[in-house]
Amino acid sequence: MDPMSVPVADYVGLSAVIFFIGVAGVIVRRNPLIMLMSIELMFNAANLLFIAFSRAWLHNAGHIFAFLIITVAAAEAAIGLAIVVTVFRTARHVDVDDVALMKG
Amino acid sequence: MLVLALILLPIVVGLIMLVMPSRDENPVLAKSIGTVVAAITFVLALGSKDSEFSYQWLSRPFQAALHFGAGSISYWIVLLLAVCTFSAILATNLPRARAFIGHMLILEGAMMGVFLAKDLLAFALFWDVMLLPVFFVLLGWGEHPATAWRYFVYNFAGGLALLMATAAFGILFGSTDVIGRPDVHVIGAWVPWIFVGFAFAFLVKTPVWPLHTWMPLTYSDTPAPMVAVVSAVQSKAGLYGLIVIGMAFMPDYLKAYGGVFVVLGVISLLYGALTALIQNDAKRVVAYSSLSHLGLIIVAIASFNPIALQGAVIYIIAHGLFSAGIFITLGYVEEREETRSLVRLGGLGASNPKLAGALCIAALAALGLPGLAGFVGEIVILTGVFQAGYTWPAILALIPIVLAAAYMLRLFQGIMNGPQVEDLPVRKDLGWLEGIALAPIVLALVVLGVNPHALTTFDPAAYNATHVNQGVATR
Amino acid sequence: MGNEGTYPYLLLLWLLPLAGAIVNWAFGPQLKRAAGPLGSAFVGVSFIATVLMWGAATQGVPGGAIGAHQSLFSWIPGFDFGLLMDPLSLLWTLIITGVGFLIHVYSIGYMDGDKAFARFFAYLNFFVFAMLTLVLSDNFVGLLVGWGLVGLASYFLIGFWFFKPSAVAAARKAFVINVAGDVGIMFAIFMIFASVHSIAYGDAFAFTSYPSGWLFAICLCLFIGAAAKSAQIPLHTWLPDAMEGPTPVSALIHAATMVTAGVYLVARCAPLWSHDANAQLLVGTIGALTALVGAILGCGQWDIKRILAYSTMSQIGYMIMGVGVGAYEGGVAHFFTHAFFKAQLFLGSGIIIHALNNEQDVRRMGGLRAKLPFAFWAMLTGVVAISGIPFLGAGFFSKDLIIQGALEHGHPIMYAVGIVTAGITAYYMCRMLFITFLGNYRGNVDPSELGIRHPELAGTPAHEEDDAHESHGRAPAWLMNVPVAILMVPTVLIGWLMFGGENSPWAHFFAQTFPHETMAAPAPVSEMFTAVIVFVCVIIGIAVAWMRYGAAPAAENAVERLRVESVRMPAVLTNAFYFDAALDWIFVRASQLLGTLFGRFLDPQVIDGAVRETVFSAQWLGTLVRSFQTGLMRTYAFLIAIGATIFMIYYALAAGGVK
Repeated sequence: MDPMSVPVADYVGLSAVIFFIGVAGVIVRRNPLIMLMSIELMFNAANLLFIAFSRAWLHNAGHIFAFLIITVAAAEAAIGLAIVVTVFRTARHVDVDDVALMKG
Repeated sequence: MLVLALILLPIVVGLIMLVMPSRDENPVLAKSIGTVVAAITFVLALGSKDSEFSYQWLSRPFQAALHFGAGSISYWIVLLLAVCTFSAILATNLPRARAFIGHMLILEGAMMGVFLAKDLLAFALFWDVMLLPVFFVLLGWGEHPATAWRYFVYNFAGGLALLMATAAFGILFGSTDVIGRPDVHVIGAWVPWIFVGFAFAFLVKTPVWPLHTWMPLTYSDTPAPMVAVVSAVQSKAGLYGLIVIGMAFMPDYLKAYGGVFVVLGVISLLYGALTALIQNDAKRVVAYSSLSHLGLIIVAIASFNPIALQGAVIYIIAHGLFSAGIFITLGYVEEREETRSLVRLGGLGASNPKLAGALCIAALAALGLPGLAGFVGEIVILTGVFQAGYTWPAILALIPIVLAAAYMLRLFQGIMNGPQVEDLPVRKDLGWLEGIALAPIVLALVVLGVNPHALTTFDPAAYNATHVNQGVATR
Repeated sequence: MGNEGTYPYLLLLWLLPLAGAIVNWAFGPQLKRAAGPLGSAFVGVSFIATVLMWGAATQGVPGGAIGAHQSLFSWIPGFDFGLLMDPLSLLWTLIITGVGFLIHVYSIGYMDGDKAFARFFAYLNFFVFAMLTLVLSDNFVGLLVGWGLVGLASYFLIGFWFFKPSAVAAARKAFVINVAGDVGIMFAIFMIFASVHSIAYGDAFAFTSYPSGWLFAICLCLFIGAAAKSAQIPLHTWLPDAMEGPTPVSALIHAATMVTAGVYLVARCAPLWSHDANAQLLVGTIGALTALVGAILGCGQWDIKRILAYSTMSQIGYMIMGVGVGAYEGGVAHFFTHAFFKAQLFLGSGIIIHALNNEQDVRRMGGLRAKLPFAFWAMLTGVVAISGIPFLGAGFFSKDLIIQGALEHGHPIMYAVGIVTAGITAYYMCRMLFITFLGNYRGNVDPSELGIRHPELAGTPAHEEDDAHESHGRAPAWLMNVPVAILMVPTVLIGWLMFGGENSPWAHFFAQTFPHETMAAPAPVSEMFTAVIVFVCVIIGIAVAWMRYGAAPAAENAVERLRVESVRMPAVLTNAFYFDAALDWIFVRASQLLGTLFGRFLDPQVIDGAVRETVFSAQWLGTLVRSFQTGLMRTYAFLIAIGATIFMIYYALAAGGVK
């Protein structure tokens, strides 16, 4: 099936759904690993949009951005996991609500 | 180059004294170095009249230069600063003397920068620098840290206004290298705001009522040698700015706001004098008297009368001399008796005749005794103010002269006269070194009081005071 | 005004006392007892220079009039200084240096043994210099300089014994009231400068187009200065208190010279006063009132120096009345004679005080004629002179000039007041004389029996004095007696200079000095008539005093009589007509109240409060913003989500969506 037989609006809708699942995950869950995964979901929602519009408008910039985001997401995941490990080492468990050192 | 040396020498020596390791504390050495540096600065200042230094610094967004040189007013203020710093350092007798004298020297250098600056940006930058030593000394040697913060907040608010006004001025005019240039006038919709920015900074620093509440606290908390310099010279930065910036570049606006300035000046005059009457802290009496005396200069500047302006310059110098003299002497008193409360003190004159004589001369100059410099300033200013048509301000400004007699005598007699107080420590009278510290100040007060002619080299016409009311009662 | 030139004698006579002051001040501890003769010598030489200057000033002036002027330097353009010697300033200079020298010599004896002997002479020399500055200046600012400096000298000398709280308070009071006067003169200078653009006498007097009302205002302001310095109502309250100073000081400063500066000022500015009838009326009225009030208050005093102080105030009232109404020669003449007889009275009282170990209350004296015959004769000639007994004392001539002058210039009420006051003067001076010298000595009577309520306040407490006076009477007695003896000669004789109306030496001396007004009508009564009326009043005054205090029955039960009089003294008199209290409430307490209001309430509460409120509102804002900063990651995420949503909605609706 030609991917373009699916209208762009559907991609946008799917992307929005995935994005809000990610948002909800970040807001609701307290496990940092799940939160990182939810952030990954949001990245991918954005990626999906980039690819879809890139394809629809026959423009390569979208692809380039998608790769850039994948790279950033990888870096972010690496740093995030490092932080999680550090927190786990000091607190012996991981719960983002316990890490509130920046309270004003 | 001489002017650059005037600024850098004290600052560099001061910084070295500050960063030296603290284990080899030698107060005598520190005091000697400080005194020698101050003396050298004074000698340099004497010859600085035609010296100039300029280095182009910024070209965008406006022209700015590190441009320094002595003008006809600043020459005298610089001399005053050098004399006061010399006397104050010589009179210093405090713990951690090396660090304190380091701060004193930095203060001197920074104020040299303020008064010698020919560029608004340099003026504004040194303005902020000169606040720092006082702030640190208040933190390190003062009685209440809150005072330091109060000083900081007030004066940096002023400094910020000054900096913003300077930037706006630069953008509007294209250059800030303007002080002392007779051809610079700015007009436009933004100029009132620029003027207000300058005026706010100057009025806070002077200070005038009702921006003065930082001042009595600062003056009573700062150690005597430093407050001598602060009240003698730093408080003049605002008045100097009003003349060389406000009056020179924005005469129309200064004139438009003249009424406000006169009213604030007169209120300061009366308010300061009346409040000084009931203070029990000797240094606060002098602080409030400063509020009163500087109000007079504000009135003089706002009157735009050439005679009043000449009087203002005389009085700027005279007030510097006598307030430095009083504060240094009060420092001696506090050192000896470990208090400066007029309720506690009394009868010192019997065992300390020289100390009493020193305080007496300084207090007499402050209350405007004819024959000493303060009187010249007062009468010349008020003659000009009256001539400019400000009848009521001139009348009201006479009341504080009577009050000054009352509070200055209360101060002097409260400390020196009356029966001796039993439980006060009895210490030695003024030593020769302490006497030498006061000698230049007293000498200058008498010389300028008899013949202030030298100070009148200042030409008010150069500061737009030409088109003013010379006739009778036109206002 | 006068011949321009360089006059070494003028500079010499002016600066010598200053040199004396500096020498005595700087080398006092080294000079020790030499300070007195040295200080006197400076003033003595100054007097000789004055006499020589008198000669020099008449050289080359047509008609032999006195006039010499020397320019000195200038402050700023318009403020030029110089010295002026004309008949008026010469007269004052002669008194200042001449009588001043005698009092210096007297002081060597009086102050002998005081710890601060040299300091005393330094102040005294400084005073002479300041007073000379005042009278020799050729302009108003120079006059004001001298005016302020004599005030300072007076302050130093009143508070000379500065360990006494009463002396300290009196000194401060005198200085502050005098500064109030200085301020008046200052304002007059503003007006003169604004209209004339010069401060020189000559320019100010020659100027004719003062704006309307300004001439009166200038005269009024000048007179505020004159009133403060010359103890005129209501600024006189410092003078009685000023008696806290050593007696020679009272004689020189608070009787002979400084307090007459107001008379000098009005006489000097005669050209201004002559042009303004209102100013003349004002000054004359104040003078007459002061003469009367001073005399009445003099009747109720027990302190010998305060009696003399009120009498000084009253006599200066005469002088001010004289120069005020336009009888300048008369007013100045009374200054001249008064300088001699009042100095003599004070010095005489000084001898008594010295002999009685600082007792000043006349109730504790009595019968001193036998003990101190010289003092008795000194006081007697002084009293004769001040009372105006015809031909026997100098006061008669000068006082009659004033009283007659008031009538000639059309002020009959002042004339009457002058005559009545002459009678009262005779009464209270004789009262003092009789209580002090007649009857029996009462120094050993218990103070309470004499009605002295607060013995410790009555005079100068002797024990405190002992601190200062290490040893009494080391100096020979003649040091104090000779100056008094010399003063007796002019006290008795000098009045004859004024005898002879238009042809008197006095009228000749001042022939070209004062503006002469043409009288509207000749005086309704002759000088002879006036003299007789005054004499009658004086005789009545003396008679009453004699009956109350001098006659045998009164003298016998003096203790009881004095006690009764002390107790029954009206409160109005003991409180000196409540002038002190009124000034205290109106000025001192009002200022203190305002100061307290400002310093204790307005400054810390209102102004600083407003600033603190600004700071607090910044803090409140911070607290508000802080509550968003939970530190919880999920809150931040939620806020970001909400923010993003709001942004998107805004973008979709307001900005019209994505095109």
